[in-house]
Amino acid sequence: MKNKGIVIFLIVLAVVIVGVIAIDFNSTKPDQQPANPYEYNIDSFTRVDTALIKYRESRNLKINLEEPVGIALHENRLFVVGDQKLQIIEPTGRLVQEVNLDQKPTCVYVSDKNIFIGYRKSLLLLNREGVKIADWNSFADSTVITSIAEQSGIVFVADAGKRIVRKFNIEGNPMGEIEGKSGNDQIHGFIIPSPYFALAFNPSGELWVVNPGKHTLENYTVDGKLRTWWEATSIKIEGFSGCCNPAHFAFLPDGSFVTSEKGVVRIKTYKPSGEFANVVATPSKFKVEGHAPDLAVDDQGTIYALDLDKKMIRLFVKK
Amino acid sequence: MKNWLKISLLLSFLIFSIAGMAQKQRFPKPEFGNGYTQPSPITPEPRILALEYFDVVILLVVISLASWLAIRKRSRKYLLWLSMFTLLYFGFYRDGCICAIGSIQNVALTIFDPGYAISISTLLFFLIPLVFTLYFGRTFCAAACPLGAVQDLLIVKPISLPEWLRKTLGLLPYLYLTLAILFAATGTDFIICRYDPFVGIFRMDAEFHMVVLGAAFLLMGMFVARPYCRFLCPYGVLLNWMSRFSKYHLAITPAACIQCKLCSDSCPFDAINFPTDEKQAKKTTWGVNRFLIYAILIPVWILIGGFAGSMSHTWLSKANPTVYLAELLITHPEVNNDQKNLDVQAFLGSGKSMEMLVKEATVIREKFHTGGWIAGGFMGLMIGLTLLGQVVYRKNADYQPFKGDCFSCGRCIPYCPVKSEILGNTGK
Repeated sequence: MKNKGIVIFLIVLAVVIVGVIAIDFNSTKPDQQPANPYEYNIDSFTRVDTALIKYRESRNLKINLEEPVGIALHENRLFVVGDQKLQIIEPTGRLVQEVNLDQKPTCVYVSDKNIFIGYRKSLLLLNREGVKIADWNSFADSTVITSIAEQSGIVFVADAGKRIVRKFNIEGNPMGEIEGKSGNDQIHGFIIPSPYFALAFNPSGELWVVNPGKHTLENYTVDGKLRTWWEATSIKIEGFSGCCNPAHFAFLPDGSFVTSEKGVVRIKTYKPSGEFANVVATPSKFKVEGHAPDLAVDDQGTIYALDLDKKMIRLFVKK
Repeated sequence: MKNWLKISLLLSFLIFSIAGMAQKQRFPKPEFGNGYTQPSPITPEPRILALEYFDVVILLVVISLASWLAIRKRSRKYLLWLSMFTLLYFGFYRDGCICAIGSIQNVALTIFDPGYAISISTLLFFLIPLVFTLYFGRTFCAAACPLGAVQDLLIVKPISLPEWLRKTLGLLPYLYLTLAILFAATGTDFIICRYDPFVGIFRMDAEFHMVVLGAAFLLMGMFVARPYCRFLCPYGVLLNWMSRFSKYHLAITPAACIQCKLCSDSCPFDAINFPTDEKQAKKTTWGVNRFLIYAILIPVWILIGGFAGSMSHTWLSKANPTVYLAELLITHPEVNNDQKNLDVQAFLGSGKSMEMLVKEATVIREKFHTGGWIAGGFMGLMIGLTLLGQVVYRKNADYQPFKGDCFSCGRCIPYCPVKSEILGNTGK
């Protein structure tokens, strides 16, 4: 045969072509897919240098709530909300008081005189004995209340649904809004992709608000003017990552920040300047891809983390 | 005029600048600092609209130039250089996408799926080569197709295939075309893109098996010239039809053929019709009776093909992810618990009920049933016509390119010793 070698070669190639197409055609069915090529393994980010961990878990308090959502601490009493209840607990874990609520709460804040319970789109005001004083219902349908703080008779309410901070006087009358936009375009308005939008006053009485989509903490005057801010975007331990972090934060007595994150769940501290300080709790202490713990801090600097997945309050003290 | 040019350039710059600013990231980019490599998507990143139209302009320029070089200039050398440009631009720079061959599927999907709208540029990529071919022959294949160009450059020792094999393999493009349209029309897959053997080479990031496929075609192409174009390209079917009616077409000789036979071995694609041997033709038993039998058999072929197509609809429809998933969940309900099965988990996470999935799958399978009849019938028609073509006597006086199969590459031109002042022979 003329060109016998070439013909054999061509037949082999034809078989290869048909074989490759046939194998590929049958290999991409829903039960025969190869490993997900887009999978992003974040295991390495869950491992933390032990030298950075400056806190230890001293104890934990089991709480009797199916869905705990928020914690506050005031005058040596822990105020925990969840299900349709407010529980007032001593640091020893003893339940002091339980108050039934009309709706599922989203957050809690306690001042010298009052207990503020945030619902999805309303706010319940109780006195310190747990007796109802008022309902604040003047919110929009798309409101999602996620955090409350009060200073000098002005109540600041973080509305994740409308992406603003609302101001009220203690009678519940609106006093304005903070949109989080600065005049010089240095910082964007609040970017809130999910209902995590926290605010708090530091020991010096300065209002700090999380802009979770920007991974920033922003300091506003009571009038809503941006004073300063710091940003820490990084999936490494020094920063915040994902769509919206930090999810919660609180202040240590020296004005340092304590932050908790979702996704890669972890608790860390930052200096008042915003510089990363150390690690309180590593991701290994929490459920994988669990909820971000809500935070409270006492006068001694003990950090109280409400673990929503394990349904307990976990106390972290400095080593 | 110069002012207009300046203004146009300025406006273009402004438009591109605004488009760039609009794409400013609102969210911080995620960090991938642990060696994570983003896999390449199947299709390249979309281009801004202006650049898509720029590609259309480039195609127009290249195909116009190719037509001029093939028919008027009659220059194989310049056609080769032009195909090099095509290979670099539409192949390596544009990653083999957008391409006229794959656009068949976009057209099919936009006809059969009201929810899908084809872009203007894709439609133009589909239509422009067809229109040019209708006038000038397959000059698109000569120098404007990157798939053709990459094969053309690697022809080393082309061998002539026996006619029976060429005719048989010549049915494959029809099959590929019908399957491509069927799969696209049912929203199953774009198989032309999926099995494009050269796109992985253009993007230089193909999976191993696609590299093997591309290499196999290129190695085969060293001896069987342009195997993909001749025996697989579905767009070639349409071009072949158009080219048969082309008003102007490349001719081997610029004037009267002197039948010197110098060009007889010049075409590596076996696309030259030789002058008919009158004596041999008289000896053959081809006749009216045979023609009539083959013609009468065509409806039978259509029925057989349609029946075969409809019977295979169950098997074919399994290529559709919805149908396959529905069957999988019915026959193997335990996969519901397979956390690693992304398709199953995506379905479970979608909130769609099993009843809805089965209903969707049933509709798709019915489409395959109808489509199977049409596709099979078409294949039957093509088989019947191919057989009929064997008994049709065509008288050729000279050495002429067979318009349907000729790629207008111009290889035959230098072999012709005839010189003429009158260029632009219509090839009739």
